[in-house]
Amino acid sequence: MTRGAASTPLGRGVLFAVALAFLAIFLVAPLAAVFAEALSKGVGAYAAAVVERDALSAIRLTLLVAAISVPLNIVFGLAASWAIAKFDFRGKSVLTTLIDLPFSVSPVVSGLIYVLLFGAQGWFGPWLKAHDIEIIFAVPGLVLATMFITFPFVARELIPLMEEQGRDDEEAALSLGASGWQTFRRVTLPNIRWGLLYGVLLCNARAMGEFGAVSVVSGHIRGKTNTMPLHVEILYNEYNFAAAFAVASLLALLALVTLTLKSILEWRYGIHGRTGH
Amino acid sequence: MSIRLTDISKRFGSFAALTDVDLNARPGEFLALLGPSGSGKTTLLRIIAGLEFPERGTVTFNGEDITGLSVAERRIGFVFQQYALFKHMTVAENVGFGLSVRPRRERPPRRVIRARAQELLDLVQLGDLGDRLPAQLSGGQRQRVALARALAVDPTLLLLDEPFGALDAKVRKELRHWLRGFHDRVGLTSIFVTHDQEEALEVADRVVVMSNGAIEQVGTPAEVYDQPVNAFVFDFVGESNRIPVTAADGKAIFRGVALDADTSGARGAAELFFRPHDARIGGAGEAGLEAVVTIARPREGRVRIESEIAGLADPIELDVATEHAPDPGTTIRIVPTRGRVFSVSVDAEQAA
Repeated sequence: MTRGAASTPLGRGVLFAVALAFLAIFLVAPLAAVFAEALSKGVGAYAAAVVERDALSAIRLTLLVAAISVPLNIVFGLAASWAIAKFDFRGKSVLTTLIDLPFSVSPVVSGLIYVLLFGAQGWFGPWLKAHDIEIIFAVPGLVLATMFITFPFVARELIPLMEEQGRDDEEAALSLGASGWQTFRRVTLPNIRWGLLYGVLLCNARAMGEFGAVSVVSGHIRGKTNTMPLHVEILYNEYNFAAAFAVASLLALLALVTLTLKSILEWRYGIHGRTGH
Repeated sequence: MSIRLTDISKRFGSFAALTDVDLNARPGEFLALLGPSGSGKTTLLRIIAGLEFPERGTVTFNGEDITGLSVAERRIGFVFQQYALFKHMTVAENVGFGLSVRPRRERPPRRVIRARAQELLDLVQLGDLGDRLPAQLSGGQRQRVALARALAVDPTLLLLDEPFGALDAKVRKELRHWLRGFHDRVGLTSIFVTHDQEEALEVADRVVVMSNGAIEQVGTPAEVYDQPVNAFVFDFVGESNRIPVTAADGKAIFRGVALDADTSGARGAAELFFRPHDARIGGAGEAGLEAVVTIARPREGRVRIESEIAGLADPIELDVATEHAPDPGTTIRIVPTRGRVFSVSVDAEQAA
């Protein structure tokens, strides 16, 4: 510890106050505002806005997109981190860099990539049209965009963890006669379970909350290709503030639940995951 | 089981880890692979295990070529340096793991696996600890669990990577004796890797001394200690003094003084080696190395003398009886009683 302003009671008090004020202004106040605005016309209006046909359809679509993209990204994340952490191969650093790509590209650009590829004027557009396959302005486009945006979460969480754990456990299992699958299921997976859960949680939160990329490929067809964040925007643009905030409050709730689970995981993870032997 | 390695070579990128290594192990033998880090000993062990594959050369078990077989197919027991116990399984589950992953048809019932695990834990004297997690065990206990786990699959060969490396000095000594006794009871061919010459000499039937990816000498502990074939082995398997000399007909000549030594073959520029206990303090007229005593300290019933010869960088060490120990500052004459002369080779210059 360095001795300085922070070690005097006054210094500590000031730092504490600054941090709290910052939290209050930028995090707590907006969150409170969301719920206050959502309930401004009473509980009845709130409930009506949430169970309204288009809102329900947006909720269903959001859940559907997450239900497809999150499991696929778990598989991809596991495969990529297993390959990167446990094997040496040419192009390993390229793969590691590519995994970070979605983090460094603006979500809008990510969405445009898919329009460029699969849109009516895109590379595969005419072929898709000829075969009557809809991707852009349809569910497949939403899933693709969401997958692109969220694919780093699981892999980024697992690669450092698996690298830290090394290959000894896997080699031990193999030397005892276990198959590759048995080794993965009975040795690797238990070793990484908390880290995996953590990555899945973050991946899911982002999959449900993603706006930019999804907005580009969605086409904003009410009741058909609108996810919750897009539905919020539409309601807001129609000056239907109470309804907009009612749906937004559901996303805020998701965030709160995610944060709580994340804290619990970090606590467990801190005990079981990171204290290697 | 007998093992034969022929012409084994392995590279990691541009680094030659092993070059043309030949080695035999007889059934029931306890072999030590001894060498400094980077000598290729662990790579050689992993090649025998099937965790690494040689670029050239063959590995045979009982005369059968198994070079291409995976670690799972070789039926070996491998004990990792850090034990690699599965930390989410109990000790008994760890030991039973090898049986529980057998294909369904060959897999014994749960009850039998449990009993076998208990039997092995009893064998390594940890019978009461089956329900513990690895994190709740001491280092020495984990080591023995790793051993029991490796034995559960009835291996024909036991391989141990630095088995005592992660333990503190006292436990290490105890475990060394225990492991030697254990090997004799179980009767498996065993090979272990170590960088500690004392460990190798004390535990193994034969010691394989390695450096720079090649084998320097294979022999019983007495052979490698008393009849080292080159300067590297002399230096590595025990304490040694090294003095630049000129070799000629059974004499090592240092600054005009001819000392008796085994020169076998060496001629011209050479180095004289002798161990601290293979030298004595000579009388005034004797041919010896003139040195000034810098430190004298008691050591295992004798006194270890450190002395300096003018112009030589390294101190000369020798062990003398307590009653004859000279005081620091005195000039003495060191007479090597069992000196060995090796020609100065490129290797020796690199090692120096």
